[in-house]
Amino acid sequence: MIENRTSQQPVSILHSVLSFFVPGLGQFVARQRARGISILATFLILGWLSIWTIAQRARFPDLELSRQLFILIFLQTLALLVFLTASRYLMARFLIKETSSQTVLGIGLGLVYVIALLLVQEDLLTTAGSAEELKTIYTGTAIFAAASLAAFYLWQVADAGKAGAQPEEHPPISGGIALACLVIFSLGWNITGIDLSKAISEYQDTQIILRRIVWPWQAAFEYETVAVETEAKVQAPCPPGATGPAVQEPVPGEAWISVTPTCGEISRRDLATGSLQLGTELTITGGGFTPGATVEILWKNPIGNPFKPRGVGETEITINENGGFETKLNIPEVVIPSTAVGDQIHTLIVRQESGEVFTGKLSREIKLALEGILETIMIGLMATFFGVVFAFPFSFIAARNLMVPISAPLSRVVGGLVALIPAIWLAARGTGRVALTLGGLEEAPIQIALVGFVLIVGVGSLGSRLGASAFDLVAKRLSEIVGQVLTGLGLGIIGGGAGYYLGLGFSRGVVAIPVGAEVAALSEPRYKLGGAILFGLIGLVYGFLNAHKEFSIGMVIYTISRTFMNIVRSIEPLIWAIVGSIWVGLGPFAGTIALTLHTIAALGKLYSESIESIDHGPIEALQATGASRLQTVVYAVIPQVMPPFISFTIYRWDINVRMSTVIGLVGGGGIGFILIQWIRQFQYDAAGLAVWLITITVATLDYVSSNIRERFV
Amino acid sequence: MLQVEHLTMVYPNGTVALRDVSFTVEDGEFLVIIGLSGSGKSTLLRCINRLIEPTEGRIVWNGVDITAADQADLRRIRREIGMVFQHFNLVKRSLVLTNVLSGRLGYIPPVWSLINRFPREDREKAFQVLERVGIPDKAFSRADALSGGQQQRVGIARALMQDPKMILADEPVASLDPVLAHSILGTLERLNQEDGITILCSLHFLDLVQRYATKVIGLRDGRLVFQGDAEDIRQMTDERFKEIYGEEAERLSA
Repeated sequence: MIENRTSQQPVSILHSVLSFFVPGLGQFVARQRARGISILATFLILGWLSIWTIAQRARFPDLELSRQLFILIFLQTLALLVFLTASRYLMARFLIKETSSQTVLGIGLGLVYVIALLLVQEDLLTTAGSAEELKTIYTGTAIFAAASLAAFYLWQVADAGKAGAQPEEHPPISGGIALACLVIFSLGWNITGIDLSKAISEYQDTQIILRRIVWPWQAAFEYETVAVETEAKVQAPCPPGATGPAVQEPVPGEAWISVTPTCGEISRRDLATGSLQLGTELTITGGGFTPGATVEILWKNPIGNPFKPRGVGETEITINENGGFETKLNIPEVVIPSTAVGDQIHTLIVRQESGEVFTGKLSREIKLALEGILETIMIGLMATFFGVVFAFPFSFIAARNLMVPISAPLSRVVGGLVALIPAIWLAARGTGRVALTLGGLEEAPIQIALVGFVLIVGVGSLGSRLGASAFDLVAKRLSEIVGQVLTGLGLGIIGGGAGYYLGLGFSRGVVAIPVGAEVAALSEPRYKLGGAILFGLIGLVYGFLNAHKEFSIGMVIYTISRTFMNIVRSIEPLIWAIVGSIWVGLGPFAGTIALTLHTIAALGKLYSESIESIDHGPIEALQATGASRLQTVVYAVIPQVMPPFISFTIYRWDINVRMSTVIGLVGGGGIGFILIQWIRQFQYDAAGLAVWLITITVATLDYVSSNIRERFV
Repeated sequence: MLQVEHLTMVYPNGTVALRDVSFTVEDGEFLVIIGLSGSGKSTLLRCINRLIEPTEGRIVWNGVDITAADQADLRRIRREIGMVFQHFNLVKRSLVLTNVLSGRLGYIPPVWSLINRFPREDREKAFQVLERVGIPDKAFSRADALSGGQQQRVGIARALMQDPKMILADEPVASLDPVLAHSILGTLERLNQEDGITILCSLHFLDLVQRYATKVIGLRDGRLVFQGDAEDIRQMTDERFKEIYGEEAERLSA
C-alpha cells in the first residue's frame, strides 16, 4: 500500500522528486492536472485540519507552536517511513524475489510502521519539543495524524513516478484515498472525544439505569403497605388504690400482647440536671406475630397522640421463631396537664408492618404514560390530517409537468399583478372594518380570520382577473404600442416596489453587517431609492419589450412553491416545535403545529414528484376533448396519483407518530414531554415505561403501515 | 371544411417538425396521412386541435380560425374534434364508463363534473356509444383489464361522446395486430360513412391506406410531398409508395 512498485513497472524518478518537494507537482507536470491539484489540496487541507485539531483540543492551545511541532513530527514519521520503505525495497531487490512474498513484505512493512510508531512515540515527541511545548498540542492525535499524512505523502511521491512514466494511465487512487481517510479518522477520533478505555471500564455504571429502563413493569402497578396493630391499656400516673385496666389474655390465632403491671408512674425529667427519672418498668409479652419480623412499639397518650418512646427501652423488637416476644419498657415521659381529671389511660401499641403488597391497581406513572402515548398518536394523526389537507392542493402547483404549460402574455400577467395590489389593500381594509364590528381580534379571532381569507382570496382573484382582462383588451383592441407602454409602466411599478424593499433589505441585512445598524440607517433612503429606480427601470424596459410574448407564469409559481417547500422541509420539526411552543404555549398543540408544517412540505414534495411521474397520455386525451384544466386534473391526474398518495400519506403518519415522541422533548406535548421530565428527575422506572410504550407503538405502527402500503404500491 | 395554410412548427429545441404545410380537407373525407415516424404526422394532428401550438400558419375550420382562438373558444372548438391515440391514453385505473364519460367534459358545467356527476342523458349516451363500438358489457370494468383492441374501442367511444364533427386519429392501429387493425379502422370508416364525421388518420401500412382512405397526404421531413385522392392511391405501386414513405414501408399482409 505504501509503495506498489514492482520491478516490471516503469518509474520516472524526476516526477517523483518533483512531487517530493511539492505534493502533486509531479502529477501536474505529467499532464494529470486534476490529480495533481487534488493531491495538493488534500495534503494542505488535511495538514491544516490536523494542526488546528491538535491545537484546539490541547490544554494550552497555541496554533503557531502546534504548527511547528506538527511539522517536526510529520518530518520524523516521514523519515521513519522512508527508511522502512528503502529497506523493503532493498529486501525485495536482493532477498525476496517472488511477487507473492513481496506482497507479504508490503503488509509487513505497514505493521512494522505501526509498531515502530507505538514504540518510539515518546522519543518522537521529546525530540520534537520540550515538555512545556508539548502541552500546547494533543499528542496522541498529533502522532497518528502526522504518521498517516506522511504515508499519504509517500504514496503520492510513488504515484508521481508512475504518472511521469505513463501519463495516459491513471493508476488506482484507492491507496491515497485510504491514507487520507486514515488522517481524517484519527482527527475524528479526537474531535468526537472517543475514549474506549472509559467505555470498557465504566460500562457497569449503565446497569443502574438500564436495568430499570429495560424492565420497568414493577412501576406500572401500585403497592400498599399493610400494618397490623395490637394494643394494650396502661394507667399512669397510678393514684393510690388504682389497679389499672385488666391484663389482656392471649387470643389464639391472632396477634396479642399483654402488659404488666397495667398501672404505674410516668418517667420524669429533672429540669435542673436534665436527667431522666425512669417511671415504672413494664413487662410486655406478645404472641401470634410473624416469626422473624420486626415490630415497633408506640405509645399513645391519653388524648390519642401516638409517639415513639425514647430513652425508656428497646422499641424495635425482633419476633422469635414461635411468633412471640418479651421485652421491658419503662413508662415514657408524658406531660399530663394539671387540669386533667380522672384516670389517665395510655395505650401501648405494637405495630407489625408487612412488606409492600401487590394491589393490582395501575400506578400513576403508567396512567400518565398511557395518556401521553395516546396524545402522541393523536398529535401524529392530526398533523398528518392537516398536512394532507394543505399538501394535496399544494402539490399540484408544485408539479412541473402541470405548471409548465401554464403561460399567458406578459401584458395579462402584469395587468393581474397590478390590479392585485389595490385589491388586496381593499380586502385588508374590509377585513379591518369587519374586525372592528366583531369586537377585535381577541374577541372573534376565527371569524375575522375566515372573513379575511375569503375577502383576500375573493377580491384578490376578482381584481387580478379584471386587471388581466383590462390589459388584454387594451393590447388587443386599442393598439399594440399602448399595450406595450401599459405593460412597461405596470411592470415598472411592480419592479420599483420590489426594488424599494430589496434596497431596504440590502441596507439592513448586508450593509449593516460591517458598519452596524445605526450607520446603515443613515444611508438606507439612498438604497431604497436606488433599488426602486433600478428595478423600476428594468421592469419598464422588460415589460415594454416583452408585453406580447408568452410569460410562463406557471414556472414562476412552481419555482416559488418548490423553494418554499424545500426551506420548510429542511428545518427540523424540533425547531418548528420550539417556534410552536412560543406561539401557542407548551403542549400538544405546539407539537401538532410543528409536525403539520413539516408534513405539508414533505408530503407536498412527495406528492408533486409522483404527479410528475404520471403518464401524460390521459392528460393530452382530456385536453383534446375540451375539458378545462381543473377537469383534466380531476379526471386524468388524480386517478393516476391516488395509490402513491395513499401510500405516502400512511408512510408520513408513521413518521409523524415517531417524530411526535421526540417533539415532546422540547415541549410539544405527548409522551416525550413526560419522558424528558422523568429522566431529569431520575425516575428511570417511569422513563422505562414510557420507552416501552413508545417502542410498542412504533413497532405496531411500522407493521400496520407497511402492511397497508403493500396493498397500494 | 378544414383549411391548413402554411403551417410551420418549430420545437423549442430547434427541431423543425413541419415546414409550410398547406392542404384542404372537405367535410366527410377520410384523410390518411402517411409518412415515416418523425416526419411530422403526430405534430400535424396535434396542431389542428392545438395540443401543440403551431409556430406559424393558420388552421381554419368551417370559417373559424382555430389558431387565433382564445382559451375559452379553443375549448369549444376542441369538444367538436374527437381524438384517438396510438397508446389509447385511457386512465387505466378508472372504469371504462368514467373514461367514456370524460369525453363529455367539454359540455357539462365544471362544478358537477368535479364530483363525478354526469347528467342522466350523458350516462345513457355512454352505454349507447359503448354498444356502438362493440363492447356494451365492459362499462364497469377497469380500463386496464381490457385487451388492446378493446381499449382502443373505449378510446373511440370517448371521442364519440363529444358528438364530433371530426376525429383526429394518431396511428390508431400501430399498437394492434392486423385483424384488430381492420376492425378498428372499420369502426372509424362506419362513423365516417354513417355519421359523416371527417376523419384525419395517420397510418403506416399501404394496404390499409388503399382500403380506407378517400384522400391521402404524404409527409417527409415535415414537408408535404404527396397529395392524392382514392383513385391515385389505388393505382399507386409499392415503388411509388416507398418513394414517399422511405424504405421501411410495408404491407400489412406482407
